[in-house]
Parts: sequence; structure tokens; C-alpha cells
Amino acid sequence: MKREKRFGAGLFSSLNPVGFNLERWSYTVHRATGVVMVGYLMAHIFETFQLTGGATAWANTMSALHSLGPMEMIGLWLVAGSALYHGGNGIRLILNEAFGMFMGKPILPVYPYSPTSLGRSQKVAVWTITVAVLALWVWAGLYLLAGLGVI
Amino acid sequence: MAEPAKEKGGSLMKESWNMVVTYVTGALLVFVLTFHLLLHSPLMGVAFDSTLLFPNATGNLVDYQIVFGLLLIGAVIHGFNGIRVMVLEWLHPTRLAWLLNLIVFLLMAFFIAVGTVTLVVVG
Amino acid sequence: MDKITLKVTRSGGKRASFEVRYRKGMTVLDALTEVREKQDSTLGYRHSCRMGICGSCGMTIEGLPRLACQTQVSSLETDSIRIEPLHNMSVVKDLVVDILPFFDHHRSVKPYLIRKDIKERDHSEREYKVLTEEVQKFLQFDYCIMCGLCYAACPTAALDPYYTGPQAIAQAYRYMADPRDEGWEKRVNLLDTSHGVWRCHMAGACSFVCPKDVDPAKAIQLARMEVLRSRVLGKKGKAGSKPVPPPGAPKEGVKPPPFDYGGAKK
Repeated sequence: MKREKRFGAGLFSSLNPVGFNLERWSYTVHRATGVVMVGYLMAHIFETFQLTGGATAWANTMSALHSLGPMEMIGLWLVAGSALYHGGNGIRLILNEAFGMFMGKPILPVYPYSPTSLGRSQKVAVWTITVAVLALWVWAGLYLLAGLGVI
Repeated sequence: MAEPAKEKGGSLMKESWNMVVTYVTGALLVFVLTFHLLLHSPLMGVAFDSTLLFPNATGNLVDYQIVFGLLLIGAVIHGFNGIRVMVLEWLHPTRLAWLLNLIVFLLMAFFIAVGTVTLVVVG
Repeated sequence: MDKITLKVTRSGGKRASFEVRYRKGMTVLDALTEVREKQDSTLGYRHSCRMGICGSCGMTIEGLPRLACQTQVSSLETDSIRIEPLHNMSVVKDLVVDILPFFDHHRSVKPYLIRKDIKERDHSEREYKVLTEEVQKFLQFDYCIMCGLCYAACPTAALDPYYTGPQAIAQAYRYMADPRDEGWEKRVNLLDTSHGVWRCHMAGACSFVCPKDVDPAKAIQLARMEVLRSRVLGKKGKAGSKPVPPPGAPKEGVKPPPFDYGGAKK
């Protein structure tokens, strides 16, 4: 069956949250961080496999990574941020989707309309996670990039 | 006129169980991944580079084999299932959805196998 | 502002600019009508009630799906307004989109009361009694005017044309929550597919753009919980979400007296 071309559809449109609500932005970031982490996961599994080759193989692997210079730590920092955001937002999504939390109850719509699923409790959840993730990410950055060992 | 796709040829499991697996592995990963990251954090009392030394890396795998096993399985299943869903939405294959599922399943099996070999050999 | 410019995406993706004199209280629909009457009678767009109840005039205005009759020009805070057809639907002409696939998704969830006893359904001797608190469970989702804005805003619908869509899933839940409906299990099976309720990722854009506060995102999560109740817990039956009682409603547990049939056969 011939598929008709749909206006404004496609990958970019799906991931473009400009003009939309906060939760749509978190959807895009959740997808992006997920892809980053799967990419890192595949590389990490191969990297840790080098441990089976003994100390020499592992040292060679670490040297290869260190040869990337500051990009190594920056890359790790980005992956850490991805993991933090994806995990935190994922908890919120599990609570939303499987337990109906932060969604509110069916109400009688009264103008001016304000959907309860995007209401105060949802916003508090999203912002709490975002702030916590940013704080932990900064801390991870200080540890990885500045080597400050800050607790 | 586009028609909603009917489920063709059945599937190994209902999509709802797929999502339950996603939720369970996701929740599990929050804990085991946090543990894994804490092993490389300032709480260990050493610089980050020191946590990557051969004795430390192998020591962690030996001491916490089960945790890392759960982390491996959880991360691979959760991650590749997520990629499967994204590709399914993007390409929305009607006849070849089974092929996408098979490819993802094989990739999962491959990476779990590689990780398991690491855990067993080092352990 | 004295004049506003409408930048309309027409058939073939071409953009046409029209200048219209602004009047206080002007809606985007008013502006488009003025263009069609005075400048270009070939401009194609749908409209009907011009008061936000029919859902015909849905289009993408300044990047968001909106009803043209409900969008005040002044609320857009710009004198150059971008107008495009609704996203995720193919274009018939100018701002008119092919909405039939959207209706097909709606039809696919069986958006009508399902009764097992056909004889009783076709020749019922009395009305189905529905208590106020039971109506509250699904009334919000009954306000849907099928404008298609939620479908146009949905990021999953942007990728997957086979995705059931927020409107259809919300309507499926509307009937699952209806105590008169006996098709709960049928709808659970319809939603539990690889293009069904599980393709929603709680982006909430549907509820963000809904002009009638139907809140399809909430309905979808409630529908999801129904599917999980069925598959994981093995429960069967009515949707159980307790609603917020309207102001002045009797306290919970206090039921109204039984309906008096006035001597009619029960």
C-alpha cells in the first residue's frame, strides 16, 4: 500500500520540543541520553573484556583511552550526566506510567483549562529530578575533570 | 489511506510484558548502576584513575560478581529493548518487525555473552 | 499593531504571505477568512462553528497545533504569523489535511458501548443507570471534539503512522471506565499491541495542546494501568480510578435513592 507523505512528520519533528511543554523536552533528552548510554555500554563491554587478557592488555587499553587526552574525561562526564538524567527521569516515568502518580484524577474541565497530568505535582517531579541530576553532574565533573576529589 | 497495522504473525510476548521487563530492569539498574558508579567515586578515598588500575578493576568484578552480572543483563536488555522500540517507531516495519526483533535479540545475546565471559574469566 | 502578516504554507510546501488589517479580538480564523474573501479565494482551510466546538479548524500556528477560531492574534505576540497544516497528516490542499487515518485509529478502538446481550441492548426496557461518581470517572474524556491537535503534537505519531494515537487511546479508556460498557477485555487486547498504548512515552504534548482539557495523557496512563492490571495481576473488569467529586457532591458512600420508575415494569 502506498504510504502518503505526512506533513511535518519524521525523526527531527519527533525529537524537536521547541514551543512545547517541559515534559516533551524531558522526552527528547531521555531519548538522547538513552542512545548515548547504549553506545557507551557496547564500548564498555568490549573495554572490560580486555581484563581477560591480563594486566598488560588492560594497561594497553587504558593507555589507548588516556591518549584521547581531556576528551576521555569529558566523554566520561557526558556519559555520567546521561546516566544520571536517564535514571532519574526513568524513575519518574515508571511512577507515571505504571502507577499513575503525578497524573491527577479525572476532573470536570473548567476554563481556563489546565491539564492535571502536566500540573503542579508533575512539574515538581520533573524539576526535582533535573535539579538533583544537575547537582550530581557538577559534582561528577569536579571529580572527573578537576580531580578535586570533592565529596 | 493509511490503516493501522494489525499484529502480524504474533510475537514472542505481549507488548505489556515487554514493558514490564523494561520497568523492572530500569528500576534494577538505578540501584546496581549507582553501586557501580560509587565504586569509582570519591567515596572510595582514591583518585578516579586509581579505581581503574588492574587490581582494583578485577577486585571489584570478583567481589561483586552477582551485582555486575545483574548490571550486565539489566543494562543490555533495557538498553537494546529501548533501541528496538525507537527503531520500531521510526521504521514501523509491517512485515519485517520479526527481523528487527531477531536482530535485537541476537545483539542482546552477544553482548551478554561477552560480558559473561569477562565475569567468568576474571572471577 | 495595525497590520499583521500571515505566512501560510500552501500546497507543495510553498509559503505565501498575506497582509491583513488587525482588529481587536481578531482570531487567526478571522484573518484567514479575510484573506480568502479579499485577497485569494483559492486559499484552502477547514472551518465550521468558529467557536471551538467542532474541531474543524485545527492547524499549526506558530509551531503549535491550535484551533484557529480559538487563537487570538494578539495572544501570539507577533505581527508575522506562521501558519502550516497540522503535522503528522498528509496534505490535501493548503491547510486542509487528510484526517481519515486519524478517524481510522479512532474507529479501531471500538468507540461505542459494547453490550454482550444484543437483545437487551437493542430492546432494553429501561435506561442504564449511571451514578454521578461513576460519570466523573470518564466525563472529562468525553469532551473530545476530535480536532486532531493531540495527534499532530504527538512525537510518536510523528514517527509511526500506525500508532493508535492519543485521541483514540483516550476514547478507549473513556469506554473502559464507563460502567455500562462490557467490552473491557476487548479494549485491553486492542491497546496491548506494539502500536498501541505502550508507544506513548509521556511527552504530554497531547494534553498541552488539547483545546478542551480532555487530558489524553492522563487517559493513556490510566489505560496503561488497566492493561497492566489485566496482564500482570490478572484482574478483569471496570477501570478503578477514583475521580475528584464536583463541588457540592454528596460525600463518598452516600448513594442517591434508587430511581423511581413510577410503576413501570422493572
